[in-house]
Amino acid sequence: MSDAIAGFLHSPLFVLPLNLAAFLFGLKLYRATGTALLHPIVGASALVAVVLLTVDIHYPDYQRASGLLYALLGPAVVALAVPLKQNLGIIRRAGWPLAITLVVGAALAPLVAVGFAMLFGAGHTVILALAGKSVTTPIALAVAEKIHAVESLTAGIVVFTGVVGAVLGPPLLKRMGIDDDRILGLTLGINAHAVGTARALEISALCGAFAALAMGLCGALTALLLPLLLR
Amino acid sequence: MRPRARPRQLVAALKQTIPPQLRELAHWLSGAAALAGCAVVGRWISALLSLPIPGSVVGMLLLLLGMMLYGGVPRGIALVSDLLLRLLALLFLPAAVGFYFLRDLNAGDWLGLLAATILGTLLSLTLCALLLKKLLESADARHNDE
Repeated sequence: MSDAIAGFLHSPLFVLPLNLAAFLFGLKLYRATGTALLHPIVGASALVAVVLLTVDIHYPDYQRASGLLYALLGPAVVALAVPLKQNLGIIRRAGWPLAITLVVGAALAPLVAVGFAMLFGAGHTVILALAGKSVTTPIALAVAEKIHAVESLTAGIVVFTGVVGAVLGPPLLKRMGIDDDRILGLTLGINAHAVGTARALEISALCGAFAALAMGLCGALTALLLPLLLR
Repeated sequence: MRPRARPRQLVAALKQTIPPQLRELAHWLSGAAALAGCAVVGRWISALLSLPIPGSVVGMLLLLLGMMLYGGVPRGIALVSDLLLRLLALLFLPAAVGFYFLRDLNAGDWLGLLAATILGTLLSLTLCALLLKKLLESADARHNDE
């Protein structure tokens, strides 16, 4: 009897609805509070972790039962081509200043992060996982797989980076006297990926478009360059 | 006559109700097939040429190229990608949960992690903003000179 229950708890029949319920909970919490600090993934992952610990499911078993969601990450990366296509016109209008900032920013974000990590004495595992910190999670996970970084650490770092950028980025730039929505949007897209893009959309449509464009191009650039550099 | 009229009416009614729904279904299916197809082909290309780039990113570039040639975003692809991107947090939830089960990190790792994600993000954010500001100003200046 208890074997049957354990089998059920370790099967997709239990794990997939658990994921869905946790996602909806995280979304609700985020909408109720309206702060980027509580990105839906924060509430959702905490709820799943609590359930796994209470009913005693090991993380690798949970991962195996969540296979369907992992399988959809690939198509989700492909889907990023749509916002990229829709915002491609912007780069033609703003031209080379945008292109240069994108390339420099895509290289700068991981370099600065790795520099700080080394300065504070972090090990190899952390440094590898930091490499993809500023790109949108599905791309970061795909890159992590290529460069053999721990994907859970990567996912945590990416989400936290996005939250830091989205919460602290706009007030920081305002304090620096920058009130150009194009600059704010691009900066958020490069450094805070989807979380920053969501914040940028709240500021203005122009800001959001620049962020979405920067997120897509920066993700593609990082995916192209990072595995080459780390080989 | 009556029993015959009924199926005919039924067919007429079906013809009225189903086609738009079927068309919608066809959009969804073709959109899903296009995205999954690009992901699979991207993976093949990446493996075949042993590229360092993740297969899904190759697939994204393929789709982008395809849509640039097509000159727009087909309705089915727009529908499915919108859904996937809204569910993104659900898709990477299993990977994110692992963050709570990390064991083999020491104090230096955690300190480096916090420094890199907080200070590092703020620094690269600032540098990016200053660079773009400078470039836009010089682009505007040149524009005014002409």
